[in-house]
Amino acid sequence: MSNSLEIVIGVIQVLVLMALSPLMTGIMRKTKARTQKRMGASIFQPYYDMAKLMRKDEVVSDQSSWIFRCTPWVNFVAIGTAAFFIPVFLSHSPFGLVGDLLLIVGLFGLARFFTMLAGLDTSSTFGGIGSSREMMISTLLEPALFLAIFVVALTYGGTNLSTIIETASNSSLLPHPQLIFAAIAMFVIILGETGRLPFGNHATHLELTMVHEAMVLEYSGKSLALIEWSQSIKQIMLFALIANIFVPWGISSSISVSTLGFGLVTFIIKISAFAVFVAFLESSIAKWRLFRVPDLIAVAIASSLVGLVLYYL
Amino acid sequence: METIQLDVLKISGAILLIATFGVIARRGFMDWLNAYRLQSVVLAVVTTIIGYVTGIWEIYIAAALTLVIKSLVIPKVLTHVTKSLEIESKTDANPYLSLRTSIIVSAFLVAMSYFLSQQIPFKSDPVVSVFLPVSMAQFFLGLFALVNRRTALSQVVGLLVIENGLFLFTLVLTHGVSLIIEVGIFADILVGIVISSILLFRMSRTFDSLDVDKLENLRDD
Repeated sequence: MSNSLEIVIGVIQVLVLMALSPLMTGIMRKTKARTQKRMGASIFQPYYDMAKLMRKDEVVSDQSSWIFRCTPWVNFVAIGTAAFFIPVFLSHSPFGLVGDLLLIVGLFGLARFFTMLAGLDTSSTFGGIGSSREMMISTLLEPALFLAIFVVALTYGGTNLSTIIETASNSSLLPHPQLIFAAIAMFVIILGETGRLPFGNHATHLELTMVHEAMVLEYSGKSLALIEWSQSIKQIMLFALIANIFVPWGISSSISVSTLGFGLVTFIIKISAFAVFVAFLESSIAKWRLFRVPDLIAVAIASSLVGLVLYYL
Repeated sequence: METIQLDVLKISGAILLIATFGVIARRGFMDWLNAYRLQSVVLAVVTTIIGYVTGIWEIYIAAALTLVIKSLVIPKVLTHVTKSLEIESKTDANPYLSLRTSIIVSAFLVAMSYFLSQQIPFKSDPVVSVFLPVSMAQFFLGLFALVNRRTALSQVVGLLVIENGLFLFTLVLTHGVSLIIEVGIFADILVGIVISSILLFRMSRTFDSLDVDKLENLRDD
């Protein structure tokens, strides 16, 4: 019964993603603190925060509608569903038949749409500016993301993630120079999607730097915990995507305990290294003026365009 | 030609293209100069790879000259000359096209150079088929940087990028012109940079600005 075994492993992959996601946030915060010569909180602090928020009461504005109450759940369910399609340490996900890379983008879009609505719903000014900024950034990010996906999909023959990652783990990067351009574009997009520094700043609640924080400012208690958890799951999923598509070393292609264990260990090492790298990058640059952000996205679009040209010629 | 050699050629061509983009996607003269320096280092590496693939020893000397002159001497001369200039004249505050438009335009220029090089029937030689479009892209990007920027200082950087493209172009098509011509070209660039920096210096003293539009103030009508 290898089929049911595969499904079990697929579910385990999702659970691993969900369990590890706050850890990545913790590692990034710790790295940032150390680069700023602070001790920083423990890397397990996001778990404690979440546990504490879960126990707290919730305050909901009486001006808000059902959208405000259901948004954390929509967020969590959309992003949790997307997590099923991401290969973590087994290269072919058993759920890959149902959805591909484009569905993941769509689910992210759904989650983001509801977050923006919730930001507008309470009609607080902060929610409004957060939503408007998020709309501006996401309308620019999505075409760039699609272009980058097209480069990868054309190279590896399909948008299905299992196909992409299986082909990637069997072939070398060398004959495909267009993937370098796709990787650059994807990296910029990931910084934007997770609201990392040139786009937004997670660490502060200043009105100038908030994008995502401004939209979820009204949430408290369990809803806040859920929203933060979904955000960090989204982040770890994007890290896993870029790590497994462009650096697929060590991912297991067969179901045996030793290769799966090796795959899990290399996966954790890869994404931790990536998280530390992003955190270093964040410490070395400043937040960009909001209207300079399209410049960076233009870099991503141009880079994917050149990748497409390199593929066809 | 082994496939691994072809793959290395392709990858190095792509990296050279990225380094060229670095010159477009930056702001401020010092950033451009650093991007140019990086691009020249990559160009020297690419030249070495071409030398290894074709097996002509003169190309190694050209690579060494590229490394020394373009990544060390020319940036040194330019930084030295511009030290006395004011900071305002070093930053190109308003190019004709904004940064994001110019990045998109340069992507299309790269696409155009790939399409153009399709028309040239040199498919049999892998070095030509990989690097000809890259060198043309460098040429076009340099030209674009040249016409897009207002200050004379940043136009010099555009000129240098064009020159890099031309160097790669001749190197790829001829597999190394004779060394004496190569050395002559390098001396030419060096002298050209010195002369243009003297011109820049005089320009900034006369007009208090490096904006080429202000040169029209000379006219007496």
